[in-house]
This record gives sequence, C-alpha cells and structure tokens, in this order.
Amino acid sequence: MNYLVDRIAGVGAYALGVLRAAFELWMVFVGTIAGIWRLYGRRGATRPPGALVEQMHVIGNRSLLFIVVTVGFIGMVMIYQACLQFSRSVGDLSQIGVQFARLIVSDLGPTLTSMMLATRVGAGIAAEIGSMKVTEQVDALRMSGVLPIDYLLVPRFLASIVMTMVLSILGAAIMYGAGGLTAYLSFGVNPRVFYDLAMVEPRHLGLGLLKAFCYGAAIPIVSGFCGLRARGSSEGVGWATTAAVVGSSFAVIALDFMLSVGALWLFGGDV
Amino acid sequence: MIGERAINAVGTRAVAVSREIGGITILFAQILRALLPPRLDGRELVKNLHKMGNRSVPIVALTAFFTGGLMVVQAAPFVQRLQATSLAGWAAGYAVLREVGPILIALMFSGRVGANNTAELGTMTVTEQLDGLRALAIDPIRYLIVPRVVAMMVMLVCLTCIGDLIALAGAMLVAKGVLDIEFGIMYASFVENLSPADFLHGIYKSIAFGLSIAVTSCYFGVTVRGGAVGVGRAVNAAVVAAAVSIMLLDFFLTYLNV
Amino acid sequence: MIELQDVGVRFASRQVLDGVRLDVARGARLGIIGPAASGKSVLIKVIAGLVAPSSGRLIIDGTDVTGLTEERLAPVRARIGMLFQNYALYDFLTVEGNVGFPLVRRGEPADQVAQRVRDRLRAVGLAGSEHKLPSQLSGGMKKRVGIARATIAAPELVLYDEPTAGLDPVTTSKMYDLLRADHEQSGATAIAVSSDVAALIGFVDTVIFLYQGRAHYQGPAATVADAPDPVVRQFVRGALDGPLVG
Repeated sequence: MNYLVDRIAGVGAYALGVLRAAFELWMVFVGTIAGIWRLYGRRGATRPPGALVEQMHVIGNRSLLFIVVTVGFIGMVMIYQACLQFSRSVGDLSQIGVQFARLIVSDLGPTLTSMMLATRVGAGIAAEIGSMKVTEQVDALRMSGVLPIDYLLVPRFLASIVMTMVLSILGAAIMYGAGGLTAYLSFGVNPRVFYDLAMVEPRHLGLGLLKAFCYGAAIPIVSGFCGLRARGSSEGVGWATTAAVVGSSFAVIALDFMLSVGALWLFGGDV
Repeated sequence: MIGERAINAVGTRAVAVSREIGGITILFAQILRALLPPRLDGRELVKNLHKMGNRSVPIVALTAFFTGGLMVVQAAPFVQRLQATSLAGWAAGYAVLREVGPILIALMFSGRVGANNTAELGTMTVTEQLDGLRALAIDPIRYLIVPRVVAMMVMLVCLTCIGDLIALAGAMLVAKGVLDIEFGIMYASFVENLSPADFLHGIYKSIAFGLSIAVTSCYFGVTVRGGAVGVGRAVNAAVVAAAVSIMLLDFFLTYLNV
Repeated sequence: MIELQDVGVRFASRQVLDGVRLDVARGARLGIIGPAASGKSVLIKVIAGLVAPSSGRLIIDGTDVTGLTEERLAPVRARIGMLFQNYALYDFLTVEGNVGFPLVRRGEPADQVAQRVRDRLRAVGLAGSEHKLPSQLSGGMKKRVGIARATIAAPELVLYDEPTAGLDPVTTSKMYDLLRADHEQSGATAIAVSSDVAALIGFVDTVIFLYQGRAHYQGPAATVADAPDPVVRQFVRGALDGPLVG
C-alpha cells in the first residue's frame, strides 16, 4: 500500500517537474522574442558587438562540412532504398526522380539537415551556455545588468534561423545531387529523367522553408533552455548537453509531424 | 595570405580528425582485447543495461511513433492520387524497417545514452576517478568501458525492435486518423509486402550503429581535458562523431545489402 | 545600506536559509562565516539579487528590491560589484574585455574605458596583462582580475564570495592587503564570505556566523574567537570537541 502511494507520489512529482520545465521553456521562448525587441526594436540599445555574425559563422560555416557529409550520404542511401523498392515492385524507375524532388523540397531536405544541426548546434549551444552557467559567468552577466537571454540566446536564435534555412537549401541540393548520382550509377536511371522538377510547386518550397524556419527557431531555444538549467559542475554541463541533443532532435521530429499533417489537411492529397 | 591560411587550417583540421580516428581505433582494439577472455563485471553490466535501455524506452517510443506517422503522411500524396490504400502500409513499413527507424532511433540513442556516457566518463576523468581505479590496479577499460560498450550494443538492438513495432503502430494510427485507412488494411499491407529480410536489414544496421556510438562516446569521455568546459566540448564532439559514423555505416551497410 | 528581513530560501524541499536578519551600514565591512553548506554563498547571492528569497525582504538603501524583474534590478546592480567564487571570468574575452565589461555595457567611450581598465589593473598589480585570456592566468591572477572587474565601476557595495579560496597563505595576505587598501580609498561597503576565518577577520569589522541556515551569531570580528557562543568558539578555533554538528 505504502509502495503504491510512493509510486503515485513519484509520478505526480515527475509530472509537476515536467510541467514546470515546459513553463520555463515557454518563458525562455517569450524572453527571447522580447529580447529581439529589446535589442533590435529600440534605438540605442547596446547590442553585443559582432555577436550575430560570429554566431552565424559558428552555426553555419562550421557546420558546413558536417552537413555535406552526413546529408550527402543519407541522400544516397534514401534513393538507393527507394530504387530497390520500386524495382522490386513497380519496375519503373522513371518516376523516382520526380517524386524524390518533391519529397526533398517539402520534407527531407530541411528535416534531415535540421536533425543533423540539432545534434551539432544544439549540443554546442548547450555546452557553451551550460559551462557559463556552472562557472557563474551567467551570474556575472546579470551583475553587470545584462540579461543572459539577450546576450547569449538572441544572437544564437537569429543566427540559427538564418543558417538553418540556408543549410537546408544546401542540404536539399546535395541530397538531390547525390541521389541522382546514385540512381544513375547503381540502377542506370538517366540523369535527364531523374533531374526533373516538374512536380515541385511553390507551396512545396514554402512548406520546406517554413519547416526550416521552425526548426531553426526551436533548436537554440531548447538547447539554450537546457544550458541555462545546468547546475553543479561538469556533470551538470554533460547533463545539459545530453538533454539539448535529445530535446532539439525530438523537437525537429515533432514539428515535422505537426507541420506535415497541417499541410496535408490544408492542401489535401496534393502536398 | 588567405590561401595559405586556409590550407593551414584544413591541414590542422585533417590532422586533428586523423588523431581522433586513430584514438578511436586504438580504443576499439583495447576493448576487443579486454573481451578475450570474455570476463565481464556482471553488476556493472546489469546497471548499464538498465540505465541505457529501460530509461530510454520513453524517448525511443515517442520518436518511433512520430516517425511511423511521418512516413504515412509523406506517402499520403501517392496513396491518395493512386487511390491505392494498400500501398500505404508497404511504403511506410519498408522505409521504417530498413532505413528511417534504425537511423532515427540510433540518433536519439546517441543523443541520450551516448552523450550521457561521454559526460559521465568525462566527469570521472576530470575528477581523476579513472586514475583512482588505476591506482587500485583495476583496468578502467575492462571495468568501466567494456560493460558500457556491450550494454549499448545490446540495448540499441532491443530498442530498435521495440521502436520498429511502435513505429508500425504509429503508422497505423496516423493512417486511420489522417487518411482514414482501416487498421486491417494497413496490417494486411504490412504482412503482404514486408519480409523478415527488411526487418533484419535494419537490425544489422542497429548492431553496427550501437557499436560505433559506444566506442566513440567512450573515447571522447576518457580523453576529456579541462573541467566543466571540457566535458561540454567532449559531449558535443561525441554526438557529432556518432552522427557522422552512423551515416557512413548506413551507407556502406546499405550497399553491402546485408 | 543593506537590510535583510527574515529572509528564507528553499530549494525544492531543502530549507537553505531560514529567517536571516541582517543590517549593514554604509561603509561597514561584514564577514559571513560558517561550516560548509551552511548557506553562505546563497546568502551573498540573495544580497546580490541573484537568488530570489522564498520569504522575507531585501531592502537596499530603503528601497524594497525583493522580487523585482531582472530589468528593474539592473540599476540596483549597477551600484554593486561582485567577485565570484570561481572568478566567473568570461573565457571568450581578454583580461581587458573582462575588466572593462561593466563600463562598456553602460555605453562609456572606448578610450575612457581603456584608461580606467589600465588604472584598475595597475592597482591590483596586473599591469601589462590586458591582452591575455583568462585561461593563461594563475588562480591568484584570476581572482585579481575578478576584483578589478568587480570594482571598476566604483560600486558602493562590493560582494566577495570566497576571495581567497585556493590561494596560498602569502597570496591570501596580499589579497586582503589589496582589499583593505581598496576599501580605505573608496569607502565602499564590503560583504565577504570566506572559509578562511583567520584571514577574513583581519579585513572585516563584524562577522555573522551562519549555522544550519540561520544567523546563529553576530558580533565584532576582533573578538570572535572569544565569542560567548560555544558553537562559534569551537568553529573559529577549529576544535574537535564541542557542540558543533556536521
């Protein structure tokens, strides 16, 4: 009986913890939006000099090789599997490229690129901010009258949105290119037949970019939240980094699901 | 000279990456040697199996559910255009079992378990606990690392099996909710079009993924330098290395078509 | 200048501080001592406004600042300098960037900031290390950079969280000489937390002894070793037998 009560109390405490964390995450998001207004909406606000460009460099340029390698390989694998599937059943591979293009633009390009970015960028942001938190640098910022969210999170947030969109476009292009190459080399699909953008319409592009925008916004918010929650010492930073990778990867998957279902409802079967 | 600087930077980076690959290979060899004869610390193994496996079930289940649903949503346009509802299960199931399921579950596993493992070993390294073990003549590889590597491999395979199942269930639910396809039709579509080979293809991959996540995360954990900042950096490096190795392994395993 | 009224702090289910009262006059120097985990660092963070008290009020210069938002707290904090336990130097900035940070944030012109940073660094004995990074400095040097940063904006109140932790005895003496000279010149109020009681009581004029989250004893620093309270006496003298628990 006591065991049962303990168990229920444990579940309740856990649920409360989750609710509180969700509330704090929301507050970080609201704070970041307010911070953008504080820094860029008013005249004469003191912005961290050069922080935006630096973060764009860290998040974008430094992820370039990683994105090219991982997304390139997964693009090849995806098309290989699809060709295998089609050749076993339908036997006609001429439609592969057309369908693949549509799928890359509206989903695979931004989503897989962002899954990879969630790993690299999310871990990086959480590790940096978490280290600053446990070494009291965040408190030192506060003592200097600086809001940590403005100083640390706003530049990363803006840089991440821009760079996720840029890298998603690049990732989609690389997947498409690598996919066509694989289809040609392994299954002899004529590149002229493969590289056919007939099915891609503006709304596919719009959906893809919207997804990239949302992922780019979600990754730094989740990771920054995890970093700012870090406590203790090195194990605290480790915990924060782990939570950031899992949290932002999951955010990408969940957002993809919601946006895809939303688009399906909006446009019917013609997404 | 910008050109000279760039070449210099590329060279430095290449040397650094080569050093990491070399270090990981050496650690892998040491792990293999420690497994001969296969003497495992039973308690350490059980503890890790529980921590890495059981505790990861919720996040893997959630990921898998959404993944299965996503595959159906992505297949929806074809299905609706061709009026071929029996294809939905085939398309979603094939993608989930062979490719998307094992990869996404492995990425989540790397984020949760691999990163956590790096952080833990890293903290032990910076607080000199590994030296403490050595001072007691306990081999940290045999005592700490081998149980973790074994636990991660075993548990990723188990989690992939569970995840595959949940993903297929998610696919059925979403097909019912979004496309209004009956459960029976989806089930029949799975049964008719998917073979055990598709499932095994994914499982082979997850074995390889588990091994690579385990070895890279342990490597970056035991080579941490410099306190809390170093631990954060190591975890970052570990998840990046694991993601790259998952993608490369996936590519080669797909081509080998095991 | 600083007044704490029955301040309590709870972390989850642990009562870290309980009913702490404190009144520090302008220009006074207060030392906070007590066993490990008695809430010393939390108390100093409450005074800095970094930790919000769960109960009670914090009053600075007659103004109640309990529970103000971070933005409202900024002008209050502008008058407070703080030295952190682990220096908390920004590892992405040079020594010059660190020390000048509070001034740059207030929009002071760059040449003026540079001049004041140079003066300040000379005062703490670190002239010429403007362009080093924190990772290139020793522990004692980092503490001194931290002091320079805490005091550059001429604060009315300076908080020191373990100013001499991890320093050898000679460096510790030098550190307190530096703090004494600093405060004699500026007349700023000082509150210091330290585990090194013997060195601390040479700097402060009053001590408060925190014990199990409560302000157990308060009295003049010079006579703390002969305090009427047996727990305080035992703690300060480092005796093994006595009423002190934990």
